[in-house]
Amino acid sequence: MSGQENENVGFQQSRSEGFLNCPSSRMATNTMPEKASGVTMSSLSMFKPPTGSDPFFASGWDPLVSLSQTENFGGSSMVTQGEFCNPPYNNPVVLESQGMSSTSHLVQYPSDSSFAEMVPKLSCFGSGSFSDMVGSFGLPQCAGIASTGCPPNYPPNSETTSTVGGQSQDGCQISDGGIGSSPNEKRRKRVPDFNSPLSPDKNAEGEQVQQKDSSISDVRKEQDEKKPKIEENSSGNARNKQTGKQAKDSADSGETPKENYIHVRARRGQATNSHSLAERVRREKISERMRLLQELVPGCNKITGKAVMLDEIINYVQSLQQQVEFLSMKLATVNPELNIDIERLLSKDILNSRGGNGALFGLGPGIGSSQHYPPGIFQGTMPSIPNTAPQFASLPQTVLDNELQGLFHMGYDSSTALENLGPNGRLKPEL
Amino acid sequence: MTNSPKGFTLNNADSCRVKFARRFLRSLIEIKTRQTNYNNNLSSSPSSSSEIRRRSERIKLKAYSSMAHAVGPRKAWTRALLLKLHNRAKRHRFRTRKRSSLAMVLKKKRVFRVKNHANFYKPAAERGNYSVLNSDEKTEKLRELVPGGKAMDICSLLEETAHFIKCLAMQVQVMHEIADQLSN
Repeated sequence: MSGQENENVGFQQSRSEGFLNCPSSRMATNTMPEKASGVTMSSLSMFKPPTGSDPFFASGWDPLVSLSQTENFGGSSMVTQGEFCNPPYNNPVVLESQGMSSTSHLVQYPSDSSFAEMVPKLSCFGSGSFSDMVGSFGLPQCAGIASTGCPPNYPPNSETTSTVGGQSQDGCQISDGGIGSSPNEKRRKRVPDFNSPLSPDKNAEGEQVQQKDSSISDVRKEQDEKKPKIEENSSGNARNKQTGKQAKDSADSGETPKENYIHVRARRGQATNSHSLAERVRREKISERMRLLQELVPGCNKITGKAVMLDEIINYVQSLQQQVEFLSMKLATVNPELNIDIERLLSKDILNSRGGNGALFGLGPGIGSSQHYPPGIFQGTMPSIPNTAPQFASLPQTVLDNELQGLFHMGYDSSTALENLGPNGRLKPEL
Repeated sequence: MTNSPKGFTLNNADSCRVKFARRFLRSLIEIKTRQTNYNNNLSSSPSSSSEIRRRSERIKLKAYSSMAHAVGPRKAWTRALLLKLHNRAKRHRFRTRKRSSLAMVLKKKRVFRVKNHANFYKPAAERGNYSVLNSDEKTEKLRELVPGGKAMDICSLLEETAHFIKCLAMQVQVMHEIADQLSN
């Protein structure tokens, strides 16, 4: 453990034992004050962001000890929160607050049982940020503790959380839970909501700030369940919001564990009319489908806007239908070969389509017969629908989407030009 | 998705593709044999422009039909397409197609249509779709393009369009390959 924490805290070590069942014994050094004395906490010196291998662990416990820590420990406080929470969820918090990137450290937080133990002890901390922490991390037991005396400080926690979400690369659920699958902006607004479901007391105290409506989609529910609430909120405002969020997450999970329908709550500053809510869900569905279509239609990566997108889609469908017509005309004029061997043709087809169709299509250079399928090209396509990767993979084996699209365009152009159908302006390579 | 190995492991798209290729080739051969028989009987020039046009029209219909059959009746647009083709065949030729699959398709199609017809005649806002896209002129155009699009809301229309585009692209590619093979 970093010695600094110990010095700063000056708390009993035994506490840390109980708290920290995590393999990282460093936590142990950061014992949490057993006596609920915010004063003691505040008297603790600033917790310096731990450096070294176990910064998070060290900092995680510090918030408990030094609730009065300033923003410097925002990270540490986050860490503390994280410590109480399930390991995977802490990482983003820690990252965010401390600006550290060693999220991996947080993964080994003690199990929930240990947290439960610690929860009662943490109640003495009584820092406002507590509720935040608890809320954010969603430990049900912590709710009570958090509500004991956490002044609602909701400083730029939303920012931190939102950023956390953006930054969490380790797949920490915390960021997911806090941020959820929804965009960060949503998260920011939802912070106030988190605290409400946690507990009335908690709401009264810490969540006054979060009285507005925030909308959360249930997508995060399962993640929320996993997040234990973090009661200790040694850091200031930064933590409050975080906990608030997480408290909300846990509360959400508790309310609706797993339901078939999606709960949507009004976002902050938006109408709570059921109609508008349903409308928003609808709009999101539609934009999601438009995004999928954008990936299907070649050359639409930079287009923003439904109208232009619809135009592109219509043109593309029309061009495809023209292609079919042209090809059927071509097939009609082909001299009938009575010796057509279906199997031979089919096998050739399949081999060609699988093995690269550069020669067949006569597309531009760079078309190798490599077997590389660029799966990334259609990563966004609907998973439920048979993926179109193979058919495009048979085209030039380039990995770049643009190249592929351009080449495919060239293929279209050549086929259309054959019958003097006129070059389809839309199909010009849009590289 | 993962890269397809060199071996013949068929995933969803591939099986669709193979099914379509098979059906299409079979109908192509059928049309071709009919053409040669016709030519032999009449001993006239095999290709007159009208003949070619008619044949290409038939081939095109066959292509769409094979595509719809290959995908299966689980998509709205395939059901609508198959129904349209079936009606057209009934009207033009009074020939029976494969009843078993079509009967199944028609049953589903009936339910589908009944369910959506009530929705269709209401104005867009009343349908419960508050999106502006519902009554756009572009949306109307898209509805015409996608089979069965007239009775869908914008949400399912977009979904069906995506699947339709995928299958169309696949169809074009297979037809292109076949044409190249036959002309070589």
